[in-house]
Amino acid sequence: MNEAHLIDAQGLGKTYGSLAVLIDANFTVSAGEIRALVGSNGAGKSTLIKILTGAIAPTTGTVKVDGKELVLGSPTEMINSGIACIYQHSNLAPAMTVLDNIFLGRQPTKRFGLLDRKRQRREAEELLQRHAIQIDLDALVSTLPTVKQKEVEILKALALNARILLMDEPTGWLAASDVAKLHATIRTLKSSGVAIVYISHMLDEIFAVCDTVTVMRDGRIISEGKVADITRPSLVKLMVGEKLAKDSAQAGKFKRMARGTGKVRLSANGLTKRGVFSDISFDLFAGEIFCITGLIGSKRTEFLHTLFGSDRFDSGELKVDGKVISFKSPTQAISNGMGFVTEDRHREGLMLGLSISNNLVMATLRKFHKFGLLKRKEIYSATGEMITDLNIQPPDPIKPVRLLSGGNQQKVLLGKWLNLKPKFLLLDEPTVGVDVGAKAEIYAILRAERDKGAAILVVSSDLEEVMTISDRIAVMVSGRLVAIHDADKTTLAEIIGEIGGAAR
Amino acid sequence: MIARWNLKSSAKLSKLAPYALPLAIVFIVIMFSIAEPAFLKPENLIGIIHQMNLIGIMAVAMTFVIMTGGVDLSVGPVLAISGLTAFFAMDAGLGLPIAIAAALGVGILIGTINGTLVAIFGLPPIIVTLAMLSIVRGLALIWGGPEWHLIRDQDAFTFIGTGHIGGISFSIILLLVFAGAVMFVQKRTPIGLIVAGIGENERAAYLSGHRVRLTKIAIYGLSGMGAALAGIVQSSQVHTSAAVYGEFGTELDVIAAIVLGGTSLMGGNGSIGRTLIGVIFLGVINNGMNILNVTLDIQLITKGVIIVLAMALSELT
Repeated sequence: MNEAHLIDAQGLGKTYGSLAVLIDANFTVSAGEIRALVGSNGAGKSTLIKILTGAIAPTTGTVKVDGKELVLGSPTEMINSGIACIYQHSNLAPAMTVLDNIFLGRQPTKRFGLLDRKRQRREAEELLQRHAIQIDLDALVSTLPTVKQKEVEILKALALNARILLMDEPTGWLAASDVAKLHATIRTLKSSGVAIVYISHMLDEIFAVCDTVTVMRDGRIISEGKVADITRPSLVKLMVGEKLAKDSAQAGKFKRMARGTGKVRLSANGLTKRGVFSDISFDLFAGEIFCITGLIGSKRTEFLHTLFGSDRFDSGELKVDGKVISFKSPTQAISNGMGFVTEDRHREGLMLGLSISNNLVMATLRKFHKFGLLKRKEIYSATGEMITDLNIQPPDPIKPVRLLSGGNQQKVLLGKWLNLKPKFLLLDEPTVGVDVGAKAEIYAILRAERDKGAAILVVSSDLEEVMTISDRIAVMVSGRLVAIHDADKTTLAEIIGEIGGAAR
Repeated sequence: MIARWNLKSSAKLSKLAPYALPLAIVFIVIMFSIAEPAFLKPENLIGIIHQMNLIGIMAVAMTFVIMTGGVDLSVGPVLAISGLTAFFAMDAGLGLPIAIAAALGVGILIGTINGTLVAIFGLPPIIVTLAMLSIVRGLALIWGGPEWHLIRDQDAFTFIGTGHIGGISFSIILLLVFAGAVMFVQKRTPIGLIVAGIGENERAAYLSGHRVRLTKIAIYGLSGMGAALAGIVQSSQVHTSAAVYGEFGTELDVIAAIVLGGTSLMGGNGSIGRTLIGVIFLGVINNGMNILNVTLDIQLITKGVIIVLAMALSELT
């Protein structure tokens, strides 16, 4: 087995000052192997990946590809050695064709630097054939479904002769049915001898597609083995340690509170936005968590924005606490007690350069000033409490949010809205790119808010999440609500059926 | 490669960053005083502050605009047209308060138009204010003509630029009071946080319920008002007003002072206090080069290089 290692990293370590983020990691992957890399945020995964992509140089250790030792800390050297990374977010040029994207920045040229389009096409077709991927080379990337766009990214890497593919949360933005398609592609890559490192928080996917798994915790590789030899509970236990594993296992056993206290807080009646969504009707009760699930692209995000006043619906009636209203701006929605945890925390949620404390009060400044003067002491005590309550790490109120892990950033974003003591809380994909531990914490926070009587509306494509936290579940397909269930009276199979069945 | 260097160095740099500017000033002061001991004479140091008075007022007023990732290039001509407004108002026999209010009003009006074009129509600040620079200069030339207008027998007005209270120039007191007021707004009211929030992430600021457009219009108005105040002080100091005041390069000095103070042109964190330090830094460099008889051409090049370096540094940390 040993001589077949395509990539062989030995004794990798990385320290920043006195802080060791990666300790003596030995990591090997063979050709044709799909290796899962798992661990909570801060476990050292990203550091390991950054070393392998050349983004940073390790403090100690060596990396060999095909037995040849590499110069570390150089992205060019890593690419030339056949290591490529596919990131969670798309790195494609949407207005260009698939073919152009594959060769973007290094098109084959003829004499005088003219593009050699024929050769470009020939090479791309060879690539498709070799890896048994089917895609229209002339399609514009923006017209492709997300899963196909991922394939374009993979092709782009393969065109660089990548033999080791690092995939960071590759299904983060994919809907459930597309995950299987991507996995099929990954298996074909495996059979053509590519080594794949699959980094994901989605344990189902690891069991579905990976051969072997490496578990990291606190900067160390703590376990390695065949996926077939491990059970899901023991994997979770390895990842997060004893205590949180229990929490996560019990998450499904919490009491369901369908229709909460029985008091209707928000009532949507035939809400329609032409060409986007139509005829959406449901009641949202105080003290319940109502999840809208469905495929990505089913217009749930757009719907939330029209509730929050950052967009408008064309027709239909919205009642908030019995009054017919449509919010003209987020300002108005907020003053009516509505909070909105947006989907993309970097683009729409947080001010990354500002401190944890400033982000936490950003939506509730009106509570923290008197006659136009900021009440600094109250800000400090309120944000201090919030940091403790939400277990935000590190608990340093003046730390810029940019320096936090994804899970902690998400907790800051959530905390920003909890400061409002919201009567209504809208959440859009509240745990995308968040580790298992932080997920459990976020679920606990949502339940606590529900029990305080908040009406909580969650949009989520993560069915595991939906089944875990919701009191009622609605299914949205192409801008229509096709079903609403009490969570304890439905099954995962039924929900999947409705998502897929009505999609046609 | 850049990303890697960035990661390694930013940890160290960011620790030093708050002290970098004061340290740089001390270092340069020492260099200048070794080269020319006259540099340290009290008259010279006071002179530096006087030279930077106008730039200081405008830099304080423009800091918020820079913090939102915008810029105001129109300050030079606004300075000129406000000085003219004050002159014509007094020339028409209106009292001093009205003259000052009219001058400030013109500045606020122009700034508000800038802000409206940027915030409501979504036009790029650099183009809007560049166009405004041209328009306002043209208006000033039509209105004021080529001649210099002497301001006579207006003792109260003259006091603004040349008077002293307790041995300190009134114009310096004016700068400090104005800076203190804006600093108070930044540190003690929600506005400072909202401005920084808009600079960091405008969309998130909107979704957090802030009136992004109104805030932007107001801060461009403030920048216009700062330029107008500088125009009043200058006309008072030199007893004249003219359409050509606030010559080309004024806006660069103002922006340079803010950037030297560590406010990023990309928007985000910034502070009035640091802008003042940036103003002093720029003043020390200008003055030191004058004392050392550095020729104007070399002065211009040196200043440009320092500004670019300061910007590069502020983007790295």
